[in-house]
Amino acid sequence: MFLEVKGIKKAFGEGSSRVEVLKGIDLALERGEFCVLLGPSGSGKSTLLNIIGGIDSADEGEIFIGGEPMGKMKEKQLTMYRRQHLGYIFQMYNLIPNLTVRENIEVGAYLSKNPLNIDEILQTLGLAEHAGKLPSQLSGGQQQRTAIGRAIVKNPDILLCDEPTGALDYKTSKEILKLIETVNQTYGNTVVMVTHNDAIKNMADRVIRLRDGQVRDNRVNTAKIPAEELEW
Amino acid sequence: MKNPLRKRLLRELRSDFGKYAVIFLLLVLSISEISGFLVAAESMIAAYDESFEKYNIEDGNFTAEEKMSPRRIRAAEELDISVYELFYSDQTAAGGQTIRIFKMREDINLACLMDGRIPEAENEIALDRMFADNNGLRSGDPIEIGGKRWLISGLVALSDYSTMFENNNDMMFDSKMFGVSVVTPEAFSQIPEEDLVWRYAWKYDAFPATTAEEIDVSDALAYDLNRIVPLTGFVPRYANQAIMFTGDDIGSDRAGMTMFLYIIIVIIAFVFTVTTSNTIVKEAGVIGTLRSMGYTKKELICHFMTLPVIVSLAAALAGNVLGYTVLKKVNADLYYGSYSLPTYVTLWNASAFIETTVVPLALMLIINFLLLSVRLRYSPLQFLRRDLTRKKKSRAVRLPRFLPFFSRFRLRIFFQNISNYVLLFVGILFANTLLMFGLMFPDVLQNYQESVPDDMLAEHQYVLQLPAGAVDEDNKVSSLLEMLYFESEVDTENEDAEKFSAYTLKTLKTQWIKDDEVLLYGIVPDSRYLNLSLKEGDVYISGSFAEKEMLSPGDSFTMKEVYEDDTYDFTVTGIYPYHGALCIFMRQDDLNGMFDLGEDTFSGYFSETPITDIDRKYIGQEIDYSSLTKVSRQLTISMGGMMKVVDAFAVIMFVIMIYLMSKIIIEKNAQSISMTKILGYSDSEISRLYILVTSIYVIAVMVLSIPPVSAVIQWLFAVIIRMEMSGWIPFRISNAVYRTMILMGSVSYLLIAALEYRKVRGVPMGDALKNTE
Repeated sequence: MFLEVKGIKKAFGEGSSRVEVLKGIDLALERGEFCVLLGPSGSGKSTLLNIIGGIDSADEGEIFIGGEPMGKMKEKQLTMYRRQHLGYIFQMYNLIPNLTVRENIEVGAYLSKNPLNIDEILQTLGLAEHAGKLPSQLSGGQQQRTAIGRAIVKNPDILLCDEPTGALDYKTSKEILKLIETVNQTYGNTVVMVTHNDAIKNMADRVIRLRDGQVRDNRVNTAKIPAEELEW
Repeated sequence: MKNPLRKRLLRELRSDFGKYAVIFLLLVLSISEISGFLVAAESMIAAYDESFEKYNIEDGNFTAEEKMSPRRIRAAEELDISVYELFYSDQTAAGGQTIRIFKMREDINLACLMDGRIPEAENEIALDRMFADNNGLRSGDPIEIGGKRWLISGLVALSDYSTMFENNNDMMFDSKMFGVSVVTPEAFSQIPEEDLVWRYAWKYDAFPATTAEEIDVSDALAYDLNRIVPLTGFVPRYANQAIMFTGDDIGSDRAGMTMFLYIIIVIIAFVFTVTTSNTIVKEAGVIGTLRSMGYTKKELICHFMTLPVIVSLAAALAGNVLGYTVLKKVNADLYYGSYSLPTYVTLWNASAFIETTVVPLALMLIINFLLLSVRLRYSPLQFLRRDLTRKKKSRAVRLPRFLPFFSRFRLRIFFQNISNYVLLFVGILFANTLLMFGLMFPDVLQNYQESVPDDMLAEHQYVLQLPAGAVDEDNKVSSLLEMLYFESEVDTENEDAEKFSAYTLKTLKTQWIKDDEVLLYGIVPDSRYLNLSLKEGDVYISGSFAEKEMLSPGDSFTMKEVYEDDTYDFTVTGIYPYHGALCIFMRQDDLNGMFDLGEDTFSGYFSETPITDIDRKYIGQEIDYSSLTKVSRQLTISMGGMMKVVDAFAVIMFVIMIYLMSKIIIEKNAQSISMTKILGYSDSEISRLYILVTSIYVIAVMVLSIPPVSAVIQWLFAVIIRMEMSGWIPFRISNAVYRTMILMGSVSYLLIAALEYRKVRGVPMGDALKNTE
């Protein structure tokens, strides 16, 4: 297994206000697998994604990437781990306002020893004609596409997507999902996508349902359909 | 691949040009001024140090009561010294100034020609360059001195008069009312002998190795010389203020100016970090994303530090160029206004470069690095969640309901921006301190000058000068005869005159208070000039002495003989409200008894009218309005220009701080301002909310800072006077200073408020609806 999550527990607060967000999560993903984490608000899916991404820590349990445990990593090693292996896409695009589309993507490329070709990515993302624009000149969908470009340009082993379509309309959301699908198929990255949109599960290789801090369902999607055909 | 984040820098600079421009300007102003000052000071000091050898400056001088015969000179030279004639005559110019005329020097204390040429004809005179400048005289101008018309052939700097001390024991030099000059030997020979002072300079055959040795050797020399010829004055070089003061003073200015620069740099570094902190809060999401992607904290610190460092570096370079070119001359001219220095050559000054460039940049780097390390210490997740505080979210401050809605709104804005307001407070306090320092200085001097006439003990005081032969311990008979003759010569018919005894002692030097020579007056019973009924053993001290030495009635203090180690203890009976000089009042018989002066001995006169029937040669010192205001007059000349620079600087500092802070506050609230616009608030209502808070705050801080700033300035002033100067100037400032401060502050603020109003109007309504960074 490429990504293994074993017995992850996480709680917030202390005493009477202590809330257990993750109550012992186990899961495993193959390299190149497209996994969707589904669940209602507060089910712990974003927390789990953040722990996998090394920007939050677990109280108990261990995560292995390519067989290597993350738990013993210090702050600097974690940063290097994110730098070398991870790409992040958030609901908020968080683009740098005074850099152009191309430069925002370069921000990601800078971190990689073998970045992908930026022009190709711009083409793939349909941003070639907007390459010289600033984020304020773009629509929400275009901004999210730029954020995807920034995440994938360094060709990460794992692409973590936290509600990437949460702020977008139906049509734009589908465009973004198609792009993530293309990226997954073209570059073979492992994708973990958090969403509360039940329909999105249909495009995944694996669907994991979380509720109340626990994995309620973890199964391979045998009826996978292209993002293009998703309806909600 | 180069870090693409660097592409932001130029755009950041362009988009926030106003902020960077004012910071750049402030840095350039400070660095160029200090760099110019340091280069000028170092070059001046080098020229001054070099002048000792180049112009063959004396190792000391003595004044003989009569012209020395060749035999006496030979006898003196047997004391391992070479003796040179340095006769002079003090004459009064048409404008009332005293001009000391020397014969053109050829072997010692040589003159440096600064303009024109040396005198060649009998009616030609070369005046001291600084005296000429301060009195508006130039080469080629005629001048009347001692009733004779002279033509100024040129301007010179005499190497033994870099500072214009008329007498070595003067409290302060006077470069406007006292000057030196040289004339041809022929012209000098026409001055009647009775008008000449028989001064001689000496050079040691072997200069003593250390200052301590120099003191011992010169003490012995004074004793030996006095046995060869009666002396009326003896000043070894180390004690000669006219030669040594310049070096000491330039050195002490240096420390003050450098400290001033560092304070400004620290404030600017804080301004940078506050503005950067604001950017960090604004861009928290982006920073969180970058950190999630794998950007290290160090990379981000470097990124946010780059612009402040580039701006500082550019400012340091521009400042140094300006300093070396324009401001070096301005500062050199300030020195040339106080000191008569020879021409100087600009020296490349490594320490000035380090102090004005390397140290400020290092300070900027360190402060920015530390504060950014703190601001960027949060985890990527905290940045993504905009959770940038270690503290638990505090609850909203409870505000009383009876307050109108607008007032509560304004208070909320104030609490939300408290950190900016704290920095603004520091900035205003610093700017106000500078402003007050600049405004207070001329005012204090002016007040002092104006208070002197009401405060004088008498219109004229004459301190008599006892001939050296009158105190010859080895020849008591001749000494007695000399004394009798002296007493008959110093009697006056003037009915206003009242005798007093006098004796000079020195205060003990401490770490914080410079030693001073203090005149002890022995007052006759029922004095017409002092409103004091002194009882036996009473010791009253002048108000200025009490203030300088921090003495109160009942306190004890110790003083010592000027040239010996004998000490005397006193206990203060009371303080006499006189601020003209540091002095002590006691009964005449007490004073005569204390110093074994003889029962009927007296040392001088108080008089309302000038005493004209005593030969001038018996008058050692005349204390009148002119001599009492010498210090304030000189300080006005030498510091006046500098104070205007300080004022200008303070106003700029004030404007910049308010501009930057109010800009940050408005930018921080752009979204709320935009939202209030959408809700239907008018621009003026929004301005009342967002600008009025700052206005009220600025005015409140300006007014409330006056008492603490005034206390700090008063303390600083007292410390400077105690440590650096002889005598005392009481700190009295008029209300006009406070009014001017508030007026200058308010006018500056109005300007900024207008800019702020434009900024508020410029906030687009769309800002509230944006969900992007």
